[in-house]
Formats: sequence, C-alpha cells, structure tokens
Amino acid sequence: MELTAELEAFIVDEVALGRGIRTIGRDEDLLAGGIIDSLGVTQLVAFLEERFQIQVTDEELTPAHFRTLAAIEEFIGCKQPC
Amino acid sequence: MSLPTLRPAPPVSDRGGAVLVCGAERIDGAQLWERVGRLAHALAARGIGQGDSVALLMPNSPDFVVGFLAITHLRAIAVPLNAQFKKAELAFCLRDCGVRAVLTDAAGERACRAIAPRASPYGEAAEVISDLAPLIAAHPPLAPSRRSPDEVVVVQYSSGSSGRPKRVPRTHHQLRAEVEAYVAAIGMSPDDVVFCAIPLFHTYGLGCCLLAALRSGATLVLLDGRDPFALARERALAMLERERVTVLPAVPLIFRLLAESPSGADLSTVRLALSAGNALPRSTFDAFQRSFGIELRQLYGLTETGAVSADLDADPVPASVGHPIPGVELSTLGPDGAQLGSDRIGEIAVRGPGVTAGYAGVPDAVNRQAFSDGWFRTGDRGRLDAEGRLFITGRSKLLIDVMGDKVDPIEVEDVLAVHPKVREVVVVGVAGPVEGEQLLKAVVVADERCRERELIRYCQERLANYKVPRLVEFRDEIPRSALGKVLRNNLA
Repeated sequence: MELTAELEAFIVDEVALGRGIRTIGRDEDLLAGGIIDSLGVTQLVAFLEERFQIQVTDEELTPAHFRTLAAIEEFIGCKQPC
Repeated sequence: MSLPTLRPAPPVSDRGGAVLVCGAERIDGAQLWERVGRLAHALAARGIGQGDSVALLMPNSPDFVVGFLAITHLRAIAVPLNAQFKKAELAFCLRDCGVRAVLTDAAGERACRAIAPRASPYGEAAEVISDLAPLIAAHPPLAPSRRSPDEVVVVQYSSGSSGRPKRVPRTHHQLRAEVEAYVAAIGMSPDDVVFCAIPLFHTYGLGCCLLAALRSGATLVLLDGRDPFALARERALAMLERERVTVLPAVPLIFRLLAESPSGADLSTVRLALSAGNALPRSTFDAFQRSFGIELRQLYGLTETGAVSADLDADPVPASVGHPIPGVELSTLGPDGAQLGSDRIGEIAVRGPGVTAGYAGVPDAVNRQAFSDGWFRTGDRGRLDAEGRLFITGRSKLLIDVMGDKVDPIEVEDVLAVHPKVREVVVVGVAGPVEGEQLLKAVVVADERCRERELIRYCQERLANYKVPRLVEFRDEIPRSALGKVLRNNLA
C-alpha cells in the first residue's frame, strides 16, 4: 500500500474512529481539525515505531512532524536509513 | 449581582493592558467586553435569552471566553462540553439540556450537524454557530442583563458511577462564592499571570483559570489550539517563560510532560503551581522540582463544588490537598453518615456556598443520597489531620483516572453490554506504564467468538477516546461474591 494511503487508513480506522471522518487530504491539518488527540498521538507513535522500525524521541514530538499526512510521511522518510 | 461584576480590575501597565493572551493575540479588558456585548446582541437577535441553554463546544480560545461571557450576559445558561465527545455522548448532553444553540468551531460543527435535529426540544435543529467573528462584527454591543444570585449560570457534567454523566447546575452566587474564596486563598491579584492549558469546559479551568483571572484582574494566558499537549509542550514552555507566568494550575499529566521536556525553560516567575484532577504521583512532584525548582501543590475540587481545598502551607505537604479555602467546610463520614474525628478515614463531605444545590434530571433518591444539610458526599475517601489538612486516600465511587480525565466504568460497560457478542462485561482500571495513570481494561464473557479489536473499535465509535478500553480480557465468567456482587478488585 502506498505510504500516504497506509497512514490515512490507520488514522481513519484507528485514531479517528467515531469522528465521522472517511478520508483525509494529504495536507489536511490533523491537529487543528481535532482528528488526532492526546491518545491519538500515543497510538500513532506506537504504530510508526512498529510498522517502520523507527524510534520517535522526545525531541521529535512536535506538531511539525504530525500536523499532516505529508509531514508524517516526510518524518518517516528522514528517520529511515537510505 | 451579575457575572459582569467579574469584569477585570484596571490593567497592569507593563503587560500592555492585556487581560487575555492567546498565541499572538492580546486582548485588553475593553476589547473583551465589547466583543462579549456584540456577541450577546447577536445571540439575542436569534431569540436567545433568559434561561435558554447554549452549549460551548470548542477548545480553549478567545472565542470560548467571549462565548461563555456572552451567554451569561443574556441570563442564558452556558453548557460547556468536551470537544472530544463522540456523536452519542454529544447527542446525550445536547438533548439532556435541551440546548437552543451550540457555539463551536469547524471540527465541532461536523459532529453537531449529524445530531442537532434530535437534540433540541424546540422541534427544529438547535442552531449551530461555528464562526463567531461575523456575528461580533455585525452587531453593536448590548448592555448586560442583571441576574439574580439564584439563577443558574452554568451547567456542567459530572461522572458518577451511574452510567450517564449527571447534570450539575451552578448558580451565579455559587460560582462567585467559589471564585472569590479561591482568589482570596491564593492571593491572586492584577499582578498575576495565569496560564491555562487545562480545558475551560471543565470546572477546574473555568473556575481556577478563567473566572479567577477575571475576578482578580490577573492576565489569563491560554494555550491555544487543538494540538495534543504532548505535541504542544515546547510551545507551552515558551509561553510560560515569555509571558512571565506566575500561577500555573494543571493536572499531573501536564506537569509530567513539562518536566520530561528536553528543552527546559526558566520558570522562575511561577510562584504557585497547582495540581488537581488526579492524585499527584511523587515521581511527578520530584521530576518537576528537579527540572524547574518548583514544588507542586495539590488542589482538590469537584464539578459539584468547584475548588475545595489547596495545599498552601509555607512548606508544601506533597501528599495533602491542603486546608479548605475560605467558607468551605470539610468532614469525613463513617458508613452510618456520622462525622469522624481527625485521622480517621471516611467519605469526604463538603459544605460551602459554592456547592451546587443538587443534580438536575435525576431521581430524588439520587440527590437525597448525595446532598444532606448542605453537605455534599463526594464519593472520595480521605482523612483530615489534626490541623485540618485533607488527605485523599481513595474513592468509594468507581471512577477511573485516565490521562487527567475521570471515566465512569459503568458508562463504558453500558456501551459494550449491547454489543451482540457480549454476554457480560466489567470495566476496571489497571496500572499504566506511568505512575498514577491507569488504563481501562474490559473483562468480557462473550457469547460467541469475538476479537479484542472488534470490541475496542465498537467503543471507539461511541465514546471519547479517553473512555475506550486499551485492553480486553476474555473470561468464562465474572467473579462474584456470595451475594452476587461483582468482585471488581479481582479483575484489575
């Protein structure tokens, strides 16, 4: 599955379930839109660490890395060895 | 006496006159009250007036503050709600209060649109207003209405081991009594800057941040936006330092996240950091002291009472929630309801002018059990030492502490119990990875093969995320006592 679609599916199906969200635009603001809350961050970080075999550090817990699907994708790209 | 008497004292000059700061926005007292008057006019033009319930469904923001005050301006009733609520929870509260209108934002509007037609007793959709700016711009200010002290100003919801949140009305007199006592107890003044990262829809944020700042003339600094605090803590630290915050009311989770921040900050201006909501773990007290040199002090309060007590001794007593604030009486009660002596553990009871007169919309028996002779039985257990300090030791209610929120397990059980594959379910709290925080576990007897994931998803669709069990344990039967009572302690 393409990365954007995989992230979107996880957020729609797991993090934002019950919020009536069916699709998320690649540049849609996940935080301002209330799509990801505090528990959602925990869920998302656990998913990224397991699925992509990365470690998310305290310093990396910033809105810039989690605001949009595009930002998360870029963050994963930076974390993975080339 | 009306809420507009909470208008701020003259501004302190070196803060540029701001009474409300949110991100880059700085609002002085005149601007704030002009916006309030204008919005009140707009709401009045929509037919909203005395006694009408108006919900507030939005994160902390100047709009929340203006919306709350505009509602009170009209002698209407503010119903602040959790912006994280899912459709069913929201529908319950809107219907329960019979709201005339909902003031919200774009995210809240999406949820409201789906349920509002069923939420209003007026036979048509409650009005959903998601953009206040055009309304504020289009109307001249309206003079405030004077309300009598006994009129209900605000309705909030309290979790309470009954399966459904209970409606807690509080009058103008009760709110004012609480806020004045709290302001006096902590010595809040126009020199103070109060930082609010806790939700204003909650009693703690509303009373100890918004109303206390307005009453004392302090500046209120809001951590704006919907960013989860785990992602916003660096911004929070920068604001604390930049705004030279002096009073920091928060919950243990926030203090822990701040203490663990890799960047740090100079918080030397903070004279008082108050922790409430859940018990303060010793590890969080120590971590915050190590990181910032500040000793956290615990505050105790409830939706039904507002702030009750605070540890304001010269030397903090970390395990204590302190002495009652002025006008509040505390007692501990034995099983027969008799008051106990010092150092004896019993149910904590509170009496004072800030305490609600009772729940609305519940059978009389519920109120008779909870309220008697002006005393409110909190459901919390504790002891008073010889000097009158309160120590919380546990809870006789079933509530579970999850990330700064309280969850009524019965509410979660009621949701799972109607799942077609569930025969029996009990929800309990189990220790989480962090001291003082619990995870919800559903213990399920299933009628047919059932997966953990499907039950969690079922809850996610119907409950705010903090109420969703993270663990499901399948059993052949639920352990019960000889009298048939569920042995919850055997399941944790």
